[in-house]
Amino acid sequence: MSEQNAPPFADSPSWWERVLPPALILIALLIVWEGAVRWLGIPKWLLPAPTAILERFLKLKTLWSHTGLTLMEAASGFAASAILGIGLSAGIVHSRFLERGVFPYVVVSNAIPIIAIIPLLTIWLGFGFAPKIMIAAIISFFPIVTNTTRGLKSADALALDFMRSINATRWQVFAKVQFPTALPFIFAAFRIASSLSIVGAVVAEFYGSDRGLGYLVITSATQLQTDLLFVSITVLAALGIGCFSLFGYIERRFGSAQAERGYQR
Amino acid sequence: MAPDAAQVPCIHLDGAGVTFRTSRGTVEAVSDVSLDIGEREFLALLGPTGCGKSTLLRLIGDLTPPTHGRVEVRGQPAHAARQRNEFGFVFQEPALLPWRTALENVRLPLEVVGFPPEKRRMRCEELLQLVSLLGFKDSYPHELSGGMKQRVAIVRALAWEPSILMMDEPFSALDELTRNRLQEDLLALWAVEHKTIVFVTHNISEAVYLADRIAVMSPRPGRITAVLPVGLPRPRLPEMRETMEFLDHVREARKALGG
Repeated sequence: MSEQNAPPFADSPSWWERVLPPALILIALLIVWEGAVRWLGIPKWLLPAPTAILERFLKLKTLWSHTGLTLMEAASGFAASAILGIGLSAGIVHSRFLERGVFPYVVVSNAIPIIAIIPLLTIWLGFGFAPKIMIAAIISFFPIVTNTTRGLKSADALALDFMRSINATRWQVFAKVQFPTALPFIFAAFRIASSLSIVGAVVAEFYGSDRGLGYLVITSATQLQTDLLFVSITVLAALGIGCFSLFGYIERRFGSAQAERGYQR
Repeated sequence: MAPDAAQVPCIHLDGAGVTFRTSRGTVEAVSDVSLDIGEREFLALLGPTGCGKSTLLRLIGDLTPPTHGRVEVRGQPAHAARQRNEFGFVFQEPALLPWRTALENVRLPLEVVGFPPEKRRMRCEELLQLVSLLGFKDSYPHELSGGMKQRVAIVRALAWEPSILMMDEPFSALDELTRNRLQEDLLALWAVEHKTIVFVTHNISEAVYLADRIAVMSPRPGRITAVLPVGLPRPRLPEMRETMEFLDHVREARKALGG
């Protein structure tokens, strides 16, 4: 039992060997920061001390509603993108017309700076959370479509020939061969797209909103409430890391399950 | 049993050919092939690499459409035969799905052709038993050796009882001992599930050992230059590989190949 759970490499560090060094660096950094602010008398609006930031964090009761809203916008946009993106990829793989007609636009759309679209979407959709969801969806669409398409296309040519030789329907080929082949690619895309969707929601909130973490960032900056700005940034960083690790974890779990099943032949 | 079996052709090719269009002009992969293959006949397509024998096999199995001539299976276009699931394909690589166990891989075609769900498991176990792999039914492809994987691929192609087995150099990626073992397994299997077999190979003694007739192909353009009956008695036994008669057939086939 213990042998099966042993790390794959003999010299791979245990968890505390991995966590301890960065934790020590962080603590040292915080101590220097705190000390510098106190002894050099740096004003609060320029650089608040870590303890002041923590105090603000604990007292801020509205923080969770702001965080919840941003998270909802990002998750909705991401979910819409995941469904539409995988659907479009399936279409691209099955139709040469779609591949030639739509795929170039998907690639080009990635080159448009997302920030430039926000005012336009605000004109169309107003100041509610609709344009925020839209931006979160647009920004996460590209990695999902490109990765899923690549995954679906990497299905084994002979396995596809076999399916054709037994007169399998397109749906059977997709469900039994192409989609399972693409799953690791899709999880990798989700990891990237989920953190991008948070960026999208926050940036959209910069422009015309009265709630959300993006709003908190903008107002605290303009009012020189620097401690609040630090609180917002910290929460955003935590959300981004959380998304990345969640899908990274699923990907690894799935990846190792597939590796055990000889996914990499 | 073979040459007279040709009186009732299972597969009928009449001037069939395939021309591929590439950026550097057209390539005649298969040219003007006329050939009848009998019901339950074991026919080997023998030729050097790149002579179009795989393309000819794909042509018969309706994976590649003919650009010239006709390909018929029991009097109907090959397309109709593929739609009736008459072809069981085995390729040079096993092409198993790595996320499915051996049993699940054998079950794949049963799911596609609409085999009764309650009978699938029993059928798969019966097939794996036939190639002595029942003990590995829950193993994933990467846990099996090359020869075991190819045996799974062979019974996968037999699962729904297609009438024609299409084999594209199925043993060429295996070492010689495994190859000989699988040739014997295939003949034993053929004795139980008596199909028409079209077997592509570049290995002369493999063709002689297995086939009723050998269609010899030459490249550029890929055409059949000779059809040699193999008069060796059945059942074919490993010791036959050493007999004068066997070696005569090998020599004849080599001559027909132009080597």
